[in-house]
Amino acid sequence: MDFTFTEEQVALRDSINRFLMKEAAPELLREISETSGGRSRELHAKIAAQGITGLSVPEAHGGVGLGDIDWTLVTEELGYHAIPDSLVESSYVATALLGSVPEAGALREQWLPRVADGTAHISIEHPANPCVADAHLADLILAIRAGKDGALELHAVSGTGLQRSTQVSIDASRRLAMLPQKLAASTRLLTGAGVQTLADATLDRAALGVAGQLVGLAQRMLDVSVDYVAQRKQFGKPIGSFQAVKHHLADVVTKIEFARPVLYRAALALQRGDRHRAVLISHAKLAAGDAAWTAARKGIQVHGACGYTWEVDLQMYMKRAWVLDAAWGDRGFHKARLGHELLRDGAPLGPAATLQ
Amino acid sequence: MTADYEAFRAEIAAWMQQHLRGEFESIRNCSGLGDAGYDPKLAKRWEQALARGGWVGIGWPKEHGGRALPLAQQVVFHEEYVRAGGPGRLGHIGETLLAPTLMAFGTREQQQRFLPGILAGTEYWAQGYSEPNAGSDLANVQTRARLEGDSWVIDGQKTWTSWAHESDWIFVVARCEPGSQRHKGLVMLLVPLRQAGVAIRPIRQITGDSEFNEVFFDGARTAGSLHLGAPGEGWKVAMALLGFERGVSTLGQQAGFEREMACLIDVARRNGAARDPDMRQRIAQAAATLDALRCNALRVLAQDEAASGGVPVSREAYIAKYVWSNWRRDFGRLAADVLGAAACLPDDDPMAQKLRQVWLFSRSDTIYAGTNEIQLNLIAERALGMPR
Ligand SMILES: Cc1cc2nc3c(=O)[nH]c(=O)nc-3n(C[C@H](O)[C@H](O)[C@H](O)COP(=O)(O)OP(=O)(O)OC[C@H]3O[C@@H](n4cnc5c(N)ncnc54)[C@H](O)[C@@H]3O)c2cc1C
Repeated sequence: MDFTFTEEQVALRDSINRFLMKEAAPELLREISETSGGRSRELHAKIAAQGITGLSVPEAHGGVGLGDIDWTLVTEELGYHAIPDSLVESSYVATALLGSVPEAGALREQWLPRVADGTAHISIEHPANPCVADAHLADLILAIRAGKDGALELHAVSGTGLQRSTQVSIDASRRLAMLPQKLAASTRLLTGAGVQTLADATLDRAALGVAGQLVGLAQRMLDVSVDYVAQRKQFGKPIGSFQAVKHHLADVVTKIEFARPVLYRAALALQRGDRHRAVLISHAKLAAGDAAWTAARKGIQVHGACGYTWEVDLQMYMKRAWVLDAAWGDRGFHKARLGHELLRDGAPLGPAATLQ
Repeated sequence: MTADYEAFRAEIAAWMQQHLRGEFESIRNCSGLGDAGYDPKLAKRWEQALARGGWVGIGWPKEHGGRALPLAQQVVFHEEYVRAGGPGRLGHIGETLLAPTLMAFGTREQQQRFLPGILAGTEYWAQGYSEPNAGSDLANVQTRARLEGDSWVIDGQKTWTSWAHESDWIFVVARCEPGSQRHKGLVMLLVPLRQAGVAIRPIRQITGDSEFNEVFFDGARTAGSLHLGAPGEGWKVAMALLGFERGVSTLGQQAGFEREMACLIDVARRNGAARDPDMRQRIAQAAATLDALRCNALRVLAQDEAASGGVPVSREAYIAKYVWSNWRRDFGRLAADVLGAAACLPDDDPMAQKLRQVWLFSRSDTIYAGTNEIQLNLIAERALGMPR
């Protein structure tokens, strides 16, 4: 396994970081999240102009056709800046889903160019999540749900005229909705065993996207905490000089550094279609979630009462991390997947299986 | 350990059933802001109802209007109170922190002036310790107080002051000797909050509610006689009060945890989390630790009651704060995991709503009343005698 990224990949990440640093400052995100829709057309248009919305869209449809490894660096940046947009779901996960359904040719023609130029948003309903993120913005919703016989079906539901009740999450930047119980038969795009495969692939890709964002969020919480403890003084010195405080933040960076390689390996496995990809992605999501929870817990602790306020940015990152950690399979789900894979009969174990 | 208080239990249960109804229905089981239906004005009327029933100051000496009930009966009261769904106690800062300090350090006049209001649930108190630059380092207090004629005049700022916006009075640690350093030259003053010299600005918490505040003193005044203990000796008084914070006042809190645990188990059963083996182990572990916390609280309080009439002296009291606050923070995380993806959504289920509150609120347990790190330093230095 080669863990070095190409120069282009690093350059892409750095340019996105610089762009978001300038255009998506925490104060702006706060303002946006307090509006009723929770989204800013202006910011979204800027993000599209950077080409971020079209990263997965094939060149033929106006995008750049990048894969899972590139996206993983991008999701880390989107997490770091707590971008209040289910950008990852629309431009990465849903775009890939549409790309893998042979029957969706017309939908691709219709929607992918608009995803790329930022004028359309696709949301996903999936059995792993009780609600759909950003359904209120969706022009198209790809819904994977059980049909009458209990087998999964894929629906493509137009957002036009669709009734959706939006709920605010504890993460003020998030907007969630439930779709109607019944969908018209005419929205059904696909049935049969293939839908299960699509559902699994979608969950894997989305979980990887969340893992990337969680690592980015953990890094942001660490950075704001390191800054804070250097400035805050008690007992006549910066609190960062107390060993107890140092150890907290050293624990956080340790978690992050041990989540990153696991994340990158999972991205590689997904991009290559490796047969272990599901379990590697579960591991990545667990490790990233652990890093993010630790960063939140230690971050608030070293901030003292300040960290418990709405006014200090730390809370935005914490809440976003908590909420994402529970999306696309909670910890119980991913731990169970890991356990099942390791302990099932005939599981490939030992050096021959693991040292590849 | 064996005394039988069945009749007393039944008396409390009956009283609660008779009184926690009607207008008070909406605050049943509420811990505070963030619980649907909670209203501080109503919570104050409830305190007054409790007072009329004789349930405030049950452990206070008779000479101060209390009932002088032994510790074991106070425990029974707190248990039955919570079992019946009694709401979080708005009056606890006055009843369990200030009142015992007044009894220990106050003049006869001060006791006569303030204890009845606390006992009747008509006067509420806030704790004015922390300042922007004096959190863990409380001795760095900069708020100034000077005697001018027969008044104290106060200038400066307190922060994180819980419930100041609903309180009538505040006890303030201030510097009364200009140029004094650290623990020296401080005074504990009793200051009315509703006056022109005091401005209160609520601070919004991660929960979205505002329970704590900034309190600004700009030429605020209080009577020249309203210093608790001698001017210059404020540190001693302030520390004694913190001792009470770790004492009997933890009983109600402990009983509240039992309610939260029951709530968590209820939700886990209903949403299937209780079938997950990992979750089962964590829930069992949390319940076991909670049980140990309860036993330990009772043991330590009994020991203190025997040794010193209720003033916590033992090292176990420091350790207890560290353990319960970490227990509750982990419990909050467990609550989030039990709720799973639903943790992020407001929903109509009151149990789930309660768990969500516990999850967010418990993020602060290891910060207020002495952070984890300060508690560990105290345990190491005071309990183990390790070098500073
Ligand atoms: C919900 C809530 C309610 C509160 N209510 C009140 C109230 O009613 N009245 C009131 O007066 N105060 C109140 N407080 C304030 C509380 O007492 C302080 O938050 C607490 O003392 C910590 O101070 P700080 O927030 O300034 O943190 P800081 O002291 O700045 O601490 C920041 C970090 O540095 C660490 N640190 C500091 N010094 C050391 C050291 N020497 N060694 C190792 N680590 C160290 C701390 O442990 C912490 O992790 C409340 C706080 C909260 C969160």
